Amino acid sequence: MMTQVPASGTEGAAYAAPDRPSPPLRRRSPALRKAFPYLLVAPALAYLLVITLYPGIFAIYQSLFVVKFNSWDWAGIDNYTRLMKDREFWAALGNTAIIGGLSLALQTGIALAIAYFAYRDPLIRGWRIIFLMPMLFMPSAVAFIWKLAFNDGRVISDLLMRVGIVDGNVDWLAHIWLARFTLIVADVWQWTPFLFIIFVAALQGQDQEIEEAARLDGASWPRIFWNISLPMMRPIIVVAITLRGIDITTMFTNVYIMTQGSPGGATETMSFFIYRQGFRMFNFGYASAASVLMLVMTVIIAQTVVKRAFHSGKK
Amino acid sequence: MASVRKTRGESLLLRYIVLGSWAAVCLLPILWFLTVGFRPRTEIITPQPIYWPNWSLDAWYLLTSDWPIAQYLRNSVLAVAGSVVIDLILAIPAAYALSRYEFKGREDIGFYILSTRMMAPAIVAVPIFFLFRNMGLLDTVWALMLIYAAINLSLVTWIIRSYMLDIPKELEDAARTDGAGDLTILREIIVPACLPGIITAAVIAAIFAINEFLFTLLIASTSKAYTMSVALANFTGGSDGVIYNAIALVSFLAFVPILILVILIQKHLSRGLTMGAVKG
Repeated sequence: MMTQVPASGTEGAAYAAPDRPSPPLRRRSPALRKAFPYLLVAPALAYLLVITLYPGIFAIYQSLFVVKFNSWDWAGIDNYTRLMKDREFWAALGNTAIIGGLSLALQTGIALAIAYFAYRDPLIRGWRIIFLMPMLFMPSAVAFIWKLAFNDGRVISDLLMRVGIVDGNVDWLAHIWLARFTLIVADVWQWTPFLFIIFVAALQGQDQEIEEAARLDGASWPRIFWNISLPMMRPIIVVAITLRGIDITTMFTNVYIMTQGSPGGATETMSFFIYRQGFRMFNFGYASAASVLMLVMTVIIAQTVVKRAFHSGKK
Repeated sequence: MASVRKTRGESLLLRYIVLGSWAAVCLLPILWFLTVGFRPRTEIITPQPIYWPNWSLDAWYLLTSDWPIAQYLRNSVLAVAGSVVIDLILAIPAAYALSRYEFKGREDIGFYILSTRMMAPAIVAVPIFFLFRNMGLLDTVWALMLIYAAINLSLVTWIIRSYMLDIPKELEDAARTDGAGDLTILREIIVPACLPGIITAAVIAAIFAINEFLFTLLIASTSKAYTMSVALANFTGGSDGVIYNAIALVSFLAFVPILILVILIQKHLSRGLTMGAVKG
């Protein structure tokens, strides 16, 4: 639980302090003293404002125009009214929610299960390295692994045929749910480790005695898990799921490499929709309008869910 | 006592079934992909998958002769290392202020920095593309460096802040009565004391930067600025289709150093991944 940070720090300071003659006591003006913390955060803050606020304002401005190459034609809120009637936009929003939601639920369940079985195991260090590996591949590499396994190399179909579940090659891109399934598999495979690592740390950090007492009272392990471990981990689970949930809603790489949104847009996520409108069809104004709507949703989620999650996580 | 032993035995069997199956799910695709890297192209896309290939180094020869792989690697290293340096320079003072000073708006500033992590790359993609185009930075490593730094700044700041909060106040107070200034304290006491946090933050930021895809795809349009991550997606050699064996090989070339880095910071990983919210 406790890191060795403070200990090593004490040591360093103890050795460093007596060597130097004490410098004369500094007197700073009260104004500077007050401004000092602001000066410290200012560079980081300025950098982030340029990279978030500027694009935000630019996107709002651009969303009011029809942009074709270098000509900007005033369009008022036309882009937004068009978006509201655009079935592809709503489909992208729905797909992001469906694919992201199922994927998040699945990886949370798996991560909880393996974390619960692994955290007290003597081989935990080994398990941790093995379970971590999928996360350490570049996302584009992971997308190619599953593109090859599902589509191009027919490996999954072959394996399923051998077990007798299907009786022929499956075209995973031909059906809405099959295509979504491939994206979910790729995401779950790569990112379950993220949650697993955090859950294991949470389980190892909890008070073992309560659990031990319950076990001696004869409680079964599912009950111990459900009634004791899970409630104690709750704040950490919330933080982990929030962070993962945010990342999932930005899903792009897998869609770009594995499905390109097919069949018929059933796997197009919000990120891919914006990319396609902007950089494939060059409707930059339209893409910006979609960005602005996504930004508004992000700000709402950040202000409600995330703020609360991080406050409870810190306790 | 007997019943305790019995439930222990049962859950042990179940435990190893669950852990063993998930280990197989993790490892088998990786091992199979490794065989893809060492097989000729004719054995990749076949009507019947070939599980045990005729080993070959075709992909390696292809990589070293046809692709400027050294260039991609150099771009990746330069952009990633540069971005981490920018992050540390900006984040250490910011984290110091956020963890050590009482000032008006501290919570809001901290939360604003955190919230930039939640911005989907796609939201800012179009404006950032125009911004870099106007600055003449499209298709340069510099642009990648700046954008990676921006993506990871929130994460680096929050991780370091979390480690700084752990440092006991007495340390500074002692130095302060000796007359040390705030910046001296930061340099001589705080930074050495939270070095594990700084290293953790740097490693995690580097991994996210190596993996970054969407911005790199938009900013880098030729091999001049391609990084490994995006070069991979462009190994689709036109009429030749996707060149999987080369992709597999490059994936492992990037995987090994990342694995080593992560093993080195293993103890701090959970804390780093939650931006300091979970103390592992």
